[in-house]
Amino acid sequence: MTVDQSLLFSAITAYIVGSMVLLSYFFNGNRRLRDAGIVLAVIGCGAQFAELATRWTVSGIWPLTNLYGSLSLFAAMGVALFLAFGWRYGTWFAGGFVLLIASVALGYATTWNEGYMPPVPALQSYWIRIHVPLVISAYAAFMVAFVFALLYLLKHGFEQSLRGPQLVAPAPSFAAPALVMERYGAPIEPGCVRVVRTRRETPNIAAAAACGDPWARWLETLPSLPRLDIMTYRVVAVGLPLLTVGIITGAWWAKEAWGAYWQWDPKETAALVSWIVYASFMHLHTRNQWRGYRCALVNVLGFATVVFCYLGVNIWVSGLHSYKI
Amino acid sequence: MGGAFASRSVSAYGEFVRLFSNVLFAVSLFAVWGLLTLVGVIVDQGKNPATYFSEYPAPVARAILRLGLDNIYHSQQYLGIIGLILLSLAVCTFKRVMPARLPPLRRVNLEAIPLNATVDVRGDEATVRRRVRDFFQSRGWKIRTREFGGEEWIFADRHNWARRGVLVAHFGFVIIAMGTSIYWWKGFSGSTAVVTGQSVIIPQTGTRIALDRFNYRYDPIRTKTGLIYQPVDYVSVVDVTTKSGTRRKETIRVNQPISVDGTLYYQASYGYAVAFGIAKNGVMLPTEYIKEGEGFPVSGDGPSIRFTRFVPTFDLATGAPTADPRPSNPGVVLSEIDGEESNADVLLPMGKTLSLGGGLSITPLRYALFTGLQYRNDPGMPLVAVGAFVLLSGLCVAFYLLPARLFVLITGAESNWRIRIGATTVKGFEIFEERFAELVEALSAREPIASKTIGILPAKAPV
Repeated sequence: MTVDQSLLFSAITAYIVGSMVLLSYFFNGNRRLRDAGIVLAVIGCGAQFAELATRWTVSGIWPLTNLYGSLSLFAAMGVALFLAFGWRYGTWFAGGFVLLIASVALGYATTWNEGYMPPVPALQSYWIRIHVPLVISAYAAFMVAFVFALLYLLKHGFEQSLRGPQLVAPAPSFAAPALVMERYGAPIEPGCVRVVRTRRETPNIAAAAACGDPWARWLETLPSLPRLDIMTYRVVAVGLPLLTVGIITGAWWAKEAWGAYWQWDPKETAALVSWIVYASFMHLHTRNQWRGYRCALVNVLGFATVVFCYLGVNIWVSGLHSYKI
Repeated sequence: MGGAFASRSVSAYGEFVRLFSNVLFAVSLFAVWGLLTLVGVIVDQGKNPATYFSEYPAPVARAILRLGLDNIYHSQQYLGIIGLILLSLAVCTFKRVMPARLPPLRRVNLEAIPLNATVDVRGDEATVRRRVRDFFQSRGWKIRTREFGGEEWIFADRHNWARRGVLVAHFGFVIIAMGTSIYWWKGFSGSTAVVTGQSVIIPQTGTRIALDRFNYRYDPIRTKTGLIYQPVDYVSVVDVTTKSGTRRKETIRVNQPISVDGTLYYQASYGYAVAFGIAKNGVMLPTEYIKEGEGFPVSGDGPSIRFTRFVPTFDLATGAPTADPRPSNPGVVLSEIDGEESNADVLLPMGKTLSLGGGLSITPLRYALFTGLQYRNDPGMPLVAVGAFVLLSGLCVAFYLLPARLFVLITGAESNWRIRIGATTVKGFEIFEERFAELVEALSAREPIASKTIGILPAKAPV
């Protein structure tokens, strides 16, 4: 087994085990599992970048000239973004799903690995070192956003399913506004520090959790719906500018290679569709009524267009970007 | 009557502005645009009608052709949607984005603001007020104070200039549109093919381009799925003579265009051209070089022949073409054109003669490579680049900076004071929740604190 094959094997193993560990953390909240999962994610991500660097060093060929290389970067960047967001915002709960998608992507990538091949003339440009990483990083960001949106829809859907006569009393903390008002006027002993988090968007889940429902107790450990919505927004806010720069650099490259910066090639038009969907998401997110559930649906649609643009167009539609191997 | 008409006009104008400045309307246009673009991705564009009938069931093919989905990006509906989006963008910019200036300084009901906090502190009033102002100023907040009904309010603003991010992004689109318009107005583009040893003149510039030689390189590579021939390089060595008579040698590769008097020339394609000998009743006449895909008449009243493609190497034993692109045993594939239809292909080795009947025969005599070049003169390109940069800058400002305002009211008496803070942002309250809590924590850490409470309430009516 060569060095790059060993690194690839290590990465896939780390992702598969890591996703199981982080999914276990997702269900039972054990912090040791979380820490172990983070370590595995870091190992897998590091092994992947090392594998790409090894391929580059050994062959002298930029490793992102085929679907195998780009899918490898997609998985690695997805995990890297997850780690960055987890470190900054504590969103470790999404790790199991991100690593699961990364391991599937990497496993699928290996089926396209044809070994070291020189790039076709169209890809022999310094732009490949700028355009491809940007676009793939954008796709990876949208993948992480997709996971947040899915979790939002899961929690929202469960809350909606609990609506009905079975919940007679609201959760105790639902009366929080009064609690805060009370504390404004109440004498508070010196030196006492209290932070009151009062909003409860999912009272039915809270009530069901209080009654011992395991699903509800598990969903209660997830961040609130607005927080999930904000996390989705934040990741898309990383992905959309990356996609914009990716499309712009791609257009510039196309101008150098083919003489026109826009040729309505299926790949570039599919990328435009993804851009339109995420731009719509950002516009809709400015509206109170559209934040949350409907924006999460738009996000899922956006990721579907990304998958179509990334894999569907490469594999099923012929065009200037049909670099299948 | 004139008044009623004017009133109706004003009302219609108001409706138009209201509709086109509506974000949901813009997103609806985006959705239609996205859908039409997606159709263009799925349906092959610019193909022969017969192609659609061979690829799709007849009703679908007919629908594709009747609705213009075979050339959707240049269809009226597609250009119309883009026009509506630009109109919406313009109206929205003037109606919503430009007027979105800083909200006026006024007192608010702090308890109605979903993001609020109270910090109880000790000290004399002047010191507390000064310390609160200093605290926010030291963290980059712009402080202003106003007195309303005997109460002094402190207003702290941050990143308010970033409210213009969307405006900058919209302006970027306008610059890009201007750049592309300049191309339509002043620019030109085209394509040409030059056979080795021959030359062409570019009609728009008068530049003469002669092809000295064209080289390509294919490397045989053994992969897991078998032997493939990977293209590695395409090179055209040309002799360029400008309209003013300046002459120079140039090399054009993929990704390495050359510039001649502001016009760029790109390596776009290549192929083989073959000179045929056509014999009639034993007298042979050579043709010009015919390029792959071209048709030509064999004689005045005889059939027409299409030179379908060049086969660099074919298997001598089986007579079948091989995948090897390097010519070692070449031949040509010909077909007879009957109206718009081509009859069955015939593979004919170089130098061999094919009898066409009626005393006619055809012989492929010699072959040469030709290069396919694209050229483009785009004076709007720098403006498009500037527009892209401006668009991106606007997006980054709009996405990554959060214009926020804090409303601070300090009430109390003697040495017991209560600092009440409310926060609003242009992106809702949730996005500022953590930073607001950190801010209040930091303020508390600096003050001789008695107590503090951070309340995040369900949103009520707009403040």
